Amino acid sequence: MLSIINLKFLNSAQSFILFFLLILLLLVLIISFSLGSYSFPVLSILMGNTSAIEATIFTEIRVPRVILAAIVGASLSVSGACLQGLFRNPLADPGLIGVSAGAALGASTIIVFGSSLTSAFIFSTFLLPLSACLGSGLVILMLFLLTRGFGHQGVTYMLLVGIAVNAIASVGIGILTFISSDSELRSLTFWTMGSFGGITWSLLIPALIIIFISFLFLLPILRNLDILQLGESEAKRLGVNVKSLKYRIIFASAASVGASVSLSGMIGFVGLVVPHLLRLLSGVNHTYVVIGSALLGSSLMVFADLLSRLLIQPAELPVGLITSAIGSPFFLWLIFRINKI
Amino acid sequence: MTKNFRLILILFFLILLNPIYVNSCDRAYNPSKITVAGGSITEILYFLEEQSKIIAVDLTSNFPEETKKFPSIGYVRNLSAEGVLSLKPTLVIGEDDMGPPDVVNQIKKTGIDIIILKEEHSSEGIIDKIKCVGEIIGEEEKTIDIINSKIMPIKIELDNLSKNLKNQNIKVMFILTMDSGSPIVGGKNTSADGFIKMIGAKNAFDSFEGWKPVGTESIIDAAPDIILISNRGAHSYKNLENMHNHPTVKYTPAAINRNIIALDGMQMLGFGPRTIETALDLSKKIQMIETN
Amino acid sequence: MSINSKNISLFYNEKEILNDISIEIREGKITTLLGPNGAGKSSFLNIISGDLDFYKGHVYYNQRNLAEINIQEKAFLRSVMAQSQPIVFDFSVYEIVEMGWLEKGDIKYSNNFKTALQEVLTECDIDYLKDRKFNTLSGGEQRRVHFARSLLQLWRESNSLDPCYLMLDEPTSNLDLFHQIKMMNTIKKLSTEGVGIFMILHDLNLAFKYSDYIAILKNGKIVTFGDPMSIINDDILSNTFDVKIQVNKKDDNIFINYV
Repeated sequence: MLSIINLKFLNSAQSFILFFLLILLLLVLIISFSLGSYSFPVLSILMGNTSAIEATIFTEIRVPRVILAAIVGASLSVSGACLQGLFRNPLADPGLIGVSAGAALGASTIIVFGSSLTSAFIFSTFLLPLSACLGSGLVILMLFLLTRGFGHQGVTYMLLVGIAVNAIASVGIGILTFISSDSELRSLTFWTMGSFGGITWSLLIPALIIIFISFLFLLPILRNLDILQLGESEAKRLGVNVKSLKYRIIFASAASVGASVSLSGMIGFVGLVVPHLLRLLSGVNHTYVVIGSALLGSSLMVFADLLSRLLIQPAELPVGLITSAIGSPFFLWLIFRINKI
Repeated sequence: MTKNFRLILILFFLILLNPIYVNSCDRAYNPSKITVAGGSITEILYFLEEQSKIIAVDLTSNFPEETKKFPSIGYVRNLSAEGVLSLKPTLVIGEDDMGPPDVVNQIKKTGIDIIILKEEHSSEGIIDKIKCVGEIIGEEEKTIDIINSKIMPIKIELDNLSKNLKNQNIKVMFILTMDSGSPIVGGKNTSADGFIKMIGAKNAFDSFEGWKPVGTESIIDAAPDIILISNRGAHSYKNLENMHNHPTVKYTPAAINRNIIALDGMQMLGFGPRTIETALDLSKKIQMIETN
Repeated sequence: MSINSKNISLFYNEKEILNDISIEIREGKITTLLGPNGAGKSSFLNIISGDLDFYKGHVYYNQRNLAEINIQEKAFLRSVMAQSQPIVFDFSVYEIVEMGWLEKGDIKYSNNFKTALQEVLTECDIDYLKDRKFNTLSGGEQRRVHFARSLLQLWRESNSLDPCYLMLDEPTSNLDLFHQIKMMNTIKKLSTEGVGIFMILHDLNLAFKYSDYIAILKNGKIVTFGDPMSIINDDILSNTFDVKIQVNKKDDNIFINYV
């Protein structure tokens, strides 16, 4: 029943584009699984005749990394699309509600103060993502409490809360930057530019679950997001439970963005621009835009990660740099091209 | 062009180009009250038993313990002119990361001697640095004595060991920190690179310059035999046992053979007297590892 | 069947906005609320449409307490055309009108969608605009689109006995005369088909021509309520609007003159 309701709102051009994006994603995934710093023929892995180290690299290092890139790309883009719909603002992006800033603050704290907390933690590889999640969780809680459960105040209020959180996190990160040593500073710098390195299955699986569930949580309300564009009062009159809509979007976005940022650092641009790319291509209804964002966002991110791994081998280019560097001019080009017609 | 004119032209350009970087080791006018901007220099002054001349140090001066008693001028790249001057030094000695340049100029303009030592990441460079400090504070003879008695024996042993080690082509990777996804590793022309060469090993990552993040596949590809990491960089690992299991280094020979070594950062990369000792210790250790 | 509002009072910031209003809105009839600005007309509309819930008194939809009807059911009972907000994304006219269609999950209903949509597009004279982007339309055209959407929300199969009400707050603003009259004729047609209409209008002549019942609101109180022919006279109008008004009644028509 769910899928029937959703698919009805896609016209034929949109269905075609979504199908095409799915194929694109599969292609990009295959290419990414096949290429890397440590080169070996991937087919041999699938047929089982490789050395142990090659098999290990494939299953323990490359595959989790590519999957992480895919789900982070999807979650940032989907959040961006939903937040743009919720706030009725084409410039909204996952950073707007302060969740990434909270995660960044949590992560930065560990990067700078980690040494003093050593004794308390056994699972050191979890320390950074854990504290980033804690950071974004606190922001979600704050958003919830300050808006009294997303009550009458409306979205402007939430925007203001997000702005305040971003400001506070900026100060926090600024102070941490100031007191950090050279090496910590370098860590901070690279973390804020994003990286998918160091991921393991044990870190990936919880994130995968969170992001996947958030996505499912959003699917039923995509049509209601369209109706919300008429305004909150009008949407209520048309039978949309606006409060519940806000809950879903904020929680789903915050959870998936928090999970993403905690594992991969800050990667900008994608959440803002991918939904717009889709709108420029074939219409603005949210069923198309959100599902399309998941597909296009993952392809883009997987491709960006591929470049980050290969361009300056053996060193890595921060992936956030690549997404902005490639994405922005392309986006500019697309705007001019479409508007000429 | 006449000879004189050429001379004047050269002098002119020298003055134009280098108001800050005075590489001279000339004796300072008054070396009685020194503010130090660089941990290795503090180390050297203690090494030459001239610590009584120190009145203030920077944040990287953490050896020996008693340096904590000195007032701190803060982060060497971000000094405050008034802050430095308020302590009334007669001489400021730093390395080329002292900054910002405007502040350094301001301090210079007040007439105080500022000397910037050029750093070379090698044993010879360390010895030159010690000699230079000795000359600046006017204790050349004492300095040469101390160098000959305390440093030269170590350096000679190190040179021999490292020559041996070179033939064995040991690959060493130096990790600065592991906190941001992919570890940040020292490439060509970094202090880490120099340190690794001192030991007599090969830098597993000499295809790029500076400190950069390196992906796990590349790390496996490079297959370092030994991994060096600063204590600070290893901070989140309760003991080195955990470090060996870190996903980014797990499949390296270094991790598999439990050859990840964590030491104080300044000890390895400060390029003061300790660095030669530390290089010797490591060289010996690696020899033992290799013969097993 | 009707909407019955009983003893409605509204306070906001300690100010009394509505005082003890009791008005009936009958199915199949057009009830219009007139009054000067600030009289509380829009607030009253918000109360009986179910948008506002902090009032005193009761509203009954066909004897059911409005406060006990859930948000989805309300959407099937009544449609509102009020001030519209700017639409940020480039929806087409078709997509905007389509948003008025309420999914009951009933397959039979869904098959009627195309028919209903076409009817509504034709009735509001916007069929030729349907593929245009909504944001490229003029103010008047956009109004007609929102009107079409409200109509789609009300659409029932011809043999349906489901009650429904249409509430309109200044629907004719921004429309040229041709489209004003066309809209009022559509509204009249709807009422003959059984829809209960509640309107707020500024244009007195329009109100008198099309309404079955008039209510006049001033300072939060009902001044008079009833069929126009019987209740409208010079004094009532002049006092309400603080303007000298002359009422002319001729052959079942009322029109006014400002002196």
